[in-house]
Amino acid sequence: MSKASFTSRRAPFHHYVLAIILGAILTVAVSVLVGASNPDDFWLAAAIGALCAAYPAMSLGAKVFVSNHTVARDAHGEQSVELQWMRQAGAGAFIDVLVATIAAAMVLVIGRIAVDALPILLALVGLSAVDAGARYLVIRHRALK
Amino acid sequence: MKNNLAERRAERRWTQADLAAALGVSRQTVISIEREKFDPSLPLAFQIARTFDCAIEDIFTAD
Repeated sequence: MSKASFTSRRAPFHHYVLAIILGAILTVAVSVLVGASNPDDFWLAAAIGALCAAYPAMSLGAKVFVSNHTVARDAHGEQSVELQWMRQAGAGAFIDVLVATIAAAMVLVIGRIAVDALPILLALVGLSAVDAGARYLVIRHRALK
Repeated sequence: MKNNLAERRAERRWTQADLAAALGVSRQTVISIEREKFDPSLPLAFQIARTFDCAIEDIFTAD
């Protein structure tokens, strides 16, 4: 992973247009998919899907078409200690999620408990993100104190 | 690894930020190396040695 810094340069105008077009296409695609999955309330579901997808879709458009012109990659970013912290945090979070998943599965099997998969999967995503972030902060704090 | 990076930096009256800028790394990286909590990669060790006009083993020694 490299560090990156913003520059004062701008991308050619048509790259911004392409980024917006790509973002819009992805947003519409996601909103249609979400809407189609809820045919009883298509437009409400599609609107929620569009709201959720718009920011990441536009960000992806900017990443693909704009950032190469406006963000300078730091050639020595991979030498920085932050990469090691991030790897340690990611590895620790992976183990935590693995253990949590196994423990939860055992509880469900032994207790013969049936639960919806969606909340569990969302909880795993949340756990992994929060765990990795918390671990990174702890590792950083220990290294710098 | 032990190192005398902090002493060498102080001799030149550089701040950690100055050295970080010279090396092209973050200030946290310099802090971590000086506190011997982070062993730099070989390319970074070479770069540090070049920055101080000396050999790697003049700065870094094994525990």
